Amino acid sequence: MMTRADRVLMAIVLCALPLLYLHIWTDQEPATMLRMQVADMDATVTPLTPDRHVQLAGPIGESIIEIRAGQARFLDSPCPGKVCVHSGWLREAGQLAACLPNRISIQLLGSRPRFDAINF
Amino acid sequence: MPQPALPQLHPLLRTLTLGLVCLLAACNRAGDPVYRDQFFAFGTLIDLTFHGVDTPRAEQASRALEQTFRQMHSDWHAWQPGALQQANAGLAEHGQASVDPAMAALIQEANRLSTLSNGLFNPVIGRLVALWGFHNDEPPQGPPPAADRIRQLVEQVPASTDVRVDDGQIHSRNPAVRYDLGAFAKGYAIDRGIEQLKELGILHAIINAGGDLRAIGRHGNRPWRIGIRDPRKPGVLASIEPAGDESVFTSGDYERFYEHEGRRYHHIIDPRSGYPAGATVSATVIHPVAATADAAATALFVAGPDAWPAIARQMGVKYVMLVDREGRIHLNPAMQARLKFESEPEAIVMSEAL
Repeated sequence: MMTRADRVLMAIVLCALPLLYLHIWTDQEPATMLRMQVADMDATVTPLTPDRHVQLAGPIGESIIEIRAGQARFLDSPCPGKVCVHSGWLREAGQLAACLPNRISIQLLGSRPRFDAINF
Repeated sequence: MPQPALPQLHPLLRTLTLGLVCLLAACNRAGDPVYRDQFFAFGTLIDLTFHGVDTPRAEQASRALEQTFRQMHSDWHAWQPGALQQANAGLAEHGQASVDPAMAALIQEANRLSTLSNGLFNPVIGRLVALWGFHNDEPPQGPPPAADRIRQLVEQVPASTDVRVDDGQIHSRNPAVRYDLGAFAKGYAIDRGIEQLKELGILHAIINAGGDLRAIGRHGNRPWRIGIRDPRKPGVLASIEPAGDESVFTSGDYERFYEHEGRRYHHIIDPRSGYPAGATVSATVIHPVAATADAAATALFVAGPDAWPAIARQMGVKYVMLVDREGRIHLNPAMQARLKFESEPEAIVMSEAL
């Protein structure tokens, strides 16, 4: 025979189980932070809000990082090939882009990225 | 003293509560210690991920790896002063050169893999790669080299079988031989890096060098998860979970290239024609050894959609995915069983088992 307390507890457990399952086993949490590294200097980590531009001075000049709507990209860089700019937006935690000539890398961070590394 | 009576829960409620407790216990996953660091070497970004290593030890290992990678990069660089450039100068002038044991081992392994690939991975076409302008940190702007200069170099047929390695010397019977280990040294260096990590007691790690990686161990209570980038559009094409200790390497026409008069010229040169290999967009290989995966990814890219299974068998590669110019995905059955595609591919061409 179920008591009233049993029923209340069961309702709580039934609600919590699917939510916890989704939280734990479907990974994917949006990125919240951006890691930026210039050459051999210590990396800096900055929140992905608010939207803004960040200027980073590297060995060959200034690279501009655009942060918008939880995403980040190289907006401009002084390298000849602009490979970093063409690599486009980083959208998921774990993704990274680098300007090799200017020795600058950026990477989105989240507590649980979908992938531990990207092969390409 | 009598024990206080525990409240009796309904059996169904007991089961559900147990499930909730188990899931709450799993929440601890979110706090798994992951250490990440990056540094520049081999003309690319080296991305390190360690799991379950305390920060001081991880930082120490990261610094040690950085030093090792920088030394290897300087020794094995194809167009900057270093041991490989000295070896190439010796081959050009005298047909032979002195090499230290580390360089001898590197060259022997490159030669062995080249032979297994029927020369499609060819580490001695340095002059051809330089002619195309890829001996530069930035991609060349074009135009492509003159056809007669390409033909001249191809007709000399430099091959790793022209080279003999013994007693700290390399000897070449072909004056056209110049080493360029661009399709191999990065993988070889990752293997040395993984050895170093294991010696330091780090058993759960990924070394990712500009998109090519080797993963050992696990991410806590789950395997590592690797996304394979789509070669033609933003995002991930498929994902894979390395089994304990595996390398995932991709050679793609999007990595280093330039466009001239509407045509793309990339850095993966077919040693038979002297021109960038034309039928493949990307070739992905999984293999325990990063050096083998690196050489095989290049060889299978050059082999193209028809010939890759035969070369893969010869090189001992068990898992391959190749994307051709029409966007078709070529797979062997074992690879298909391991890949999880983000969306259903439009066209899959299945090979026989490797």
